[in-house]
Amino acid sequence: METLRDAFDFSDFSRAERIGLGLFTLFLFIFPWLGFGSFVKTVMIYFLLFSLFGMGWNTIGGYGGQVELGKAQYVGIGAYTVALMMVWWKIPFWVSMPIGVLIALGYSFMIGYPLFRLKGHYFAIATICTSLVLQDIFINWKLVGAAKGIELPIHDHPDFLYMQFKSDTYYFYFIMALFYAGLFYMNWFRKSKLGYQLRIIKDDEEAAESLGIDARWCKIKAYSIASAFVAVGGGFLAVFNLYIDPYSVMDLDLSIKIALMAMLGGAASMWGPIIGAAFLIPLDRFLGSWLGGHKGLIGVDFMIYAAMIMIVSAYQPRGIWGIIEQFRRRGA
Amino acid sequence: MAFLQVIDLVKDFGGVVANNHISFDIDQGEIIGLIGPNGAGKTTLFNCIVGYHKPDSGKVVFKGKEITGLKPFMTNREGIGRTFQIMKVTAGMTVLENVLVGAFCRTDNRHLAKVEASAILGFLGLDEVREYHLNELPIASQKKVGLARALATQPELLMLDEVASGLNPKETEEMVALLKRIHQEKKITLFLIEHVMEVVMPISQKVIVLDGGEKIADGLPKEIVKNERVIKAYLGEKYAKGL
Repeated sequence: METLRDAFDFSDFSRAERIGLGLFTLFLFIFPWLGFGSFVKTVMIYFLLFSLFGMGWNTIGGYGGQVELGKAQYVGIGAYTVALMMVWWKIPFWVSMPIGVLIALGYSFMIGYPLFRLKGHYFAIATICTSLVLQDIFINWKLVGAAKGIELPIHDHPDFLYMQFKSDTYYFYFIMALFYAGLFYMNWFRKSKLGYQLRIIKDDEEAAESLGIDARWCKIKAYSIASAFVAVGGGFLAVFNLYIDPYSVMDLDLSIKIALMAMLGGAASMWGPIIGAAFLIPLDRFLGSWLGGHKGLIGVDFMIYAAMIMIVSAYQPRGIWGIIEQFRRRGA
Repeated sequence: MAFLQVIDLVKDFGGVVANNHISFDIDQGEIIGLIGPNGAGKTTLFNCIVGYHKPDSGKVVFKGKEITGLKPFMTNREGIGRTFQIMKVTAGMTVLENVLVGAFCRTDNRHLAKVEASAILGFLGLDEVREYHLNELPIASQKKVGLARALATQPELLMLDEVASGLNPKETEEMVALLKRIHQEKKITLFLIEHVMEVVMPISQKVIVLDGGEKIADGLPKEIVKNERVIKAYLGEKYAKGL
């Protein structure tokens, strides 16, 4: 009960933030009826999906302060579980997705245990490695489609059991529901015992240990929570694209994007991952399609992308949300 | 049965013997001072007891249970709290949140933890700064926050590493009064490393002196100040004459 109340209690945010959240929610509700084309709708869907990824990453990467660059492997685990179970045994999404999350949890505990013996850069490198190893295994594993990937059998529209739709509007509301589930979870998480413990581990791990906190165990728990979040998103990705391969769901590029978005938006803040995704996803998509199409301008989108990230990280390491808070403090 | 027993403890940092066969007992309810010149091995001894270092040999027994080599979070759960000589001062958390983390050590309930944390902030007179971040506070308040969050874990033995360093005489006086209150009202055994004689001498019931990794003396404060070896190693002729 109390957990639920904490999850839905936004009263410790400022008025402006609460109004912002309200307007944003309203906008999301009416967005599919504003008459945008399928390209814009897809961008919005990816925005919500990456916000979800970013919120997950934020538990270990933001609040816990661990540079985690291997989230793609859990996207892969979520996506492959959903896809394979459907192809092999015709198991509906609502069964396979939770199983995918459980597998992700189990796997994350397994590799989290040795992984968190490492600290700092070594930890970051190790997370990249584990993700790459899993990707390589899937690229060469014939049973799961190897490098060709797997296609999901297409069902009649609308199929709420297998979550397959013709219209993006359905997918939009579906990912929106997942997004809000994530948002409420994070609202509870930041006030939870684990949330506080992670923050002091980030600040001063020695002091944290002196306060009876098993830092390694806390990090493993947060890492697993992050993995579960990302696996849910991975499951969504499988039914949204109806096709997955190791390059699209397990790439290092994806891991880095997830971490980067949360960091750019503002790690260890409630809104950071959402702001980060709201900046980078449209930038990525629109710039890519506008500039990438022109001769001689290929790659310019990446340059703009990179320049933005450098500017923000040089100006305020706590990201865009850090800049906003800085101004608010000055104003107050 | 002694409350805390350190038996023949050795810590060797590859050639530099920081703690060389050190033994002593502490009884429940005492205030013990640990003094010695820089590099005497005081902080190392603390770290060996609490678990940041694993002693090379020797035993640490707390309340009749051997705790040698246990991790710091485990010794904390056994009932040993500690503060640090140098606290990392970050903008990450407010004073209240810092103390809350300590209180969470004994409960999972956020509201209970908050009540406990507020009580401790009140006890230490930190109510006014509860919403401040550590880096916005003067050093005396930072030291108190370190004390507060250690107290929030409800220790039976509190180990304080130079709690009065960097404080001016007035703040030092306040700190001494505070330590006395913690000892009397909360019934916590105190074990403190201290350079400031004005802190150690008036409140300690027993003083242990380290020099070059060895225990050179222990006893009542008034005996210690007359001990030839201690005067030579640490106190200096001037302090002895002043007494």
